[in-house]
Amino acid sequence: MHAPTVLRNARLLSGLVLMAFVTSHLGNLLIGIHSLAALETWRATLMGPWKSGAGLALLLGSACVHVALGLYAISARRSLAMSRTDVVQLGLGLLTPPLLLNHVVATYIAGEVTPDFDATYGMMLAVYWSFAPGYAFQQLFVVVIVWIHGALGLYAWLVLKPVWRRIGGLVLPVLFAIPILALVGFAESGKEVLEKLANDASWKTHITDNLERIVKVTTRLETFQTVVLAVYGGLLLLGIGVFAARMLRNRWESVRVSYDGGACAQGRRGLSVLEFSRLNDIPHAHVCSARGRCGTCRVHVDSGAQALSPPNAIERRTLARVQAGEGDRLACQARVLGPGVCVTRLLPAHADASAARVPQEWMAVDPAPAGEPAP
Amino acid sequence: MTLLPRAACVVALLLAMTASAFAASGDHGLAQWSIGALTQAKARIETLAGDLAQAPAELRRLNGQTRASLMSGTGVRGFTYLLIMLLAGSAAEWLYWTYAYAPLRAIQSASVQSPRQALRVGLRRLLLAGSGLMLFTVATIGASAAFSWPPGVQELVVAATLLVLVLRLAWVVVAIVLAPGRPPLRLVPVAPERARWLAALAMTVVCLLALGRFVPDLIERISGARHAAGAFRFIAATAAALLLLVVSFMFFGRAVRGAGAARMPRFPRSFLLALLVAAVYGIWLLATAAATIAAIAAVVVALQIGLRDMVFFFWQSDAASATGPKDKTEPEFDPVLPSIVLSAARFMVVLLGLGACAIALDTPAAELAMSESPMARLGLRVLGVATLALLTHAVWITVRTAIDQRLSRIEPGDAHEGPNASARLLTLLPLLRVTASVFLVVMLVLSSLWALGIEITPLLAGAGVVGLALGFGAQALVRDVIAGIFFLAEDAFRIGEYIESGTSTKGTVERITLRTVALRHHNGPLHFVPYGALGTVRNNSRDWVIEKFNLPLPIDVDSEKIRKLIKKVGEDMMADPEVGPLMLQPLKGKLQSIDPGVKIFRCKFQTAPGKQFDVRAQALKRIEDALKAMGVGFAQGR
Ligand code: FES
Repeated sequence: MHAPTVLRNARLLSGLVLMAFVTSHLGNLLIGIHSLAALETWRATLMGPWKSGAGLALLLGSACVHVALGLYAISARRSLAMSRTDVVQLGLGLLTPPLLLNHVVATYIAGEVTPDFDATYGMMLAVYWSFAPGYAFQQLFVVVIVWIHGALGLYAWLVLKPVWRRIGGLVLPVLFAIPILALVGFAESGKEVLEKLANDASWKTHITDNLERIVKVTTRLETFQTVVLAVYGGLLLLGIGVFAARMLRNRWESVRVSYDGGACAQGRRGLSVLEFSRLNDIPHAHVCSARGRCGTCRVHVDSGAQALSPPNAIERRTLARVQAGEGDRLACQARVLGPGVCVTRLLPAHADASAARVPQEWMAVDPAPAGEPAP
Repeated sequence: MTLLPRAACVVALLLAMTASAFAASGDHGLAQWSIGALTQAKARIETLAGDLAQAPAELRRLNGQTRASLMSGTGVRGFTYLLIMLLAGSAAEWLYWTYAYAPLRAIQSASVQSPRQALRVGLRRLLLAGSGLMLFTVATIGASAAFSWPPGVQELVVAATLLVLVLRLAWVVVAIVLAPGRPPLRLVPVAPERARWLAALAMTVVCLLALGRFVPDLIERISGARHAAGAFRFIAATAAALLLLVVSFMFFGRAVRGAGAARMPRFPRSFLLALLVAAVYGIWLLATAAATIAAIAAVVVALQIGLRDMVFFFWQSDAASATGPKDKTEPEFDPVLPSIVLSAARFMVVLLGLGACAIALDTPAAELAMSESPMARLGLRVLGVATLALLTHAVWITVRTAIDQRLSRIEPGDAHEGPNASARLLTLLPLLRVTASVFLVVMLVLSSLWALGIEITPLLAGAGVVGLALGFGAQALVRDVIAGIFFLAEDAFRIGEYIESGTSTKGTVERITLRTVALRHHNGPLHFVPYGALGTVRNNSRDWVIEKFNLPLPIDVDSEKIRKLIKKVGEDMMADPEVGPLMLQPLKGKLQSIDPGVKIFRCKFQTAPGKQFDVRAQALKRIEDALKAMGVGFAQGR
């Protein structure tokens, strides 16, 4: 296995682990629609595994790997050519760690620092609904952000698989139902907590005692948070810096790529063919946003093949999967290293995920894709 | 001609505006009204100053209040519900886009050659994006109905949703009209580098205006902070006005260059637009109530200024090809269609402006139509007349252009040619043009009178009676005219054809008029025959004629030889460059009868109409020569 493949799979796997965790957490919250008691009962089942040693290690490891790979991906970018989904995905991903940190600290770390602190749902809900509602806004926001980030990633990955035909109709509604129901659960159990706070004095003292315990260690927790945030911010700046340097390095080395239908694109040396298309507003299909998975961006290289970077492992695999012909390349992976490249886009710009699922169906499409007038 | 409807529109607009101004001022004198306005303006400025001075303190109070109300179970609940609503809306839209995205991309990536195609693409994009937005709205609002909201929160949430909607809608429109990043899809003449900037600025202005519209109302309603709301409005309006000034100077500074290099210098548009912006802003500062009307009027005026370029943009490529190297095969660029569209668009803009004014003034259209104020009524009626004039104008231009184009296509080189198919059009089309113009004018006059509220029923009745009397008197005339129309429609004869009518008048058709046909007899006299009296028409100039003649030869000639000789002569004539083309079938002859001492040969040939005489002379001459060469003479007379 080659480095890009490993990195890509690591990113996917860690993302899936995190998604599984978020799903079980939100699934747990969803039970709050029934009652607060049920919420607490199910906590052991749904959240317990993630608190055990192995689960915790897996979770933390995945989180670190995912964040690190995300930052690495920023630094590895070559241009700002991104689809709108990509921008959303990136922005939401970057927002997540700082917004989520205090929740993690309050529920996981505080328990480690003060052993008798008990981060039950009732406790946290009381904090959010009554004692410090400011945090509630942050957490509600984070639920949406994290979920959209995860759902976009999951969708982009699954939609390319042939199974999507069968499970798609089920997965999409579920993807939306989970956060909606979780929020409803949050609201319902919140009502219950407020009632309990008003009517059940002993429960209230329990909560306030608990809170006092954690207030005592606030300074320590805050220092910890600041350190983590500082590290994160530093890494982020580093990633952006590397990206900026990369952007500036080849600034003046401009080359041209010509396309079928007489189109012509100008850009920096070292950009991928797809980036040339996108930066010059040339219609070009790219269902997987340049991840090298879908194969819809493939082009036939008419001339100047030696001026393109050699195909990497990801590209070779995808090309084999979509049964590409001799001299075909993935535009998102083939980087332009010199002048004289001339390509023909093999799929029309409106190709969608079905072109990745069933490449045969789109093979028959005439290789004169973007030029024809609208139907 | 285009001046007329435009003038009508302007007059109508002015009248309607004065009418509404008078209606608003309640028929006071002008002096009183202006004094009132001045006092109002003064009060208004004082209020604004007060707002600005007291806003900070109020804002601080407001901040504390909001914090307190947000930082409670209620706030959290409201926020949760808001998120759920938005999630539900997004879910519906995401589902929609999983189906609609591929078509959208297909539409957007199609190659677009002309702005008119771009318009079609733009409409499709609008439909797709608009449906998505609709779905989002319905799902969001629907979800909001499912919750029991804490008191006071729902207003906030609905306002937020509305804001989101307005902004998204604005973005859809801006993205389609300016199409930043997709120059071929652009619907207005804006340079590619500027489109992005213009789009960004337009969105900022919309944002400011929308915020200035929704937020202060909310502030006022929820917390009663009047000054803060006023200050907010002031800041938003000022920022928007400044941005608009920037836009008008940056983007409309230079007129669109192109074909008109030698154009006359014009008053700079940027300055006009800036003036408009400043005027609206000034009016808003002095009298908020009038500002909406002023803004609408300003938009109408600004659109009128730019409308010509906008409309002609869609025919720009045609104009370019017409002014470029002339290509004979291409139809000439003809600015008639864009002119019609332009005048219709001008009128529509005015109408929409008036409609917007009516909505802004809260005057239901029905009430306005019923209203007793004579000015308002007159304004409405003049508007109606203007509509009619515009419609008539459009119809007239269309008819005239169609007829003229057809005429200009057949005119060249027609004068000296023989009768052909276009002769009929040449007679019919001008007739049609006159008839159409008379009809249109009469209709316009009648319906304008009617729209102005002048009773035309007696007029019509009178005209009916007179028409009846005239009809009896002019029965023959009517018969002639109608018969003429049918003769022409059935293509019975055309100018230049030789006809014989049932009344045994014959001659070449020289002129065709509404009632008569002028026939020139071959001896010179000109007959004017009313169509009604034409009866059976025998047209001698159609398709072909067969000419026959007899050839008496001595009894002792060899019939077969003569037949061959005649045939040979016929073939020679067909091959002859002069006579040949006139003949449709060659000359042939055969023995017809044998009289005492004479063999009579019957010869015949077919030619184009009117050519038979020349051809016969030729044939006889050639036959004579051939017979002489053979040594055969004609039969001797007895
Ligand atoms: S964009 Fe999907 S493989 Fe290149």
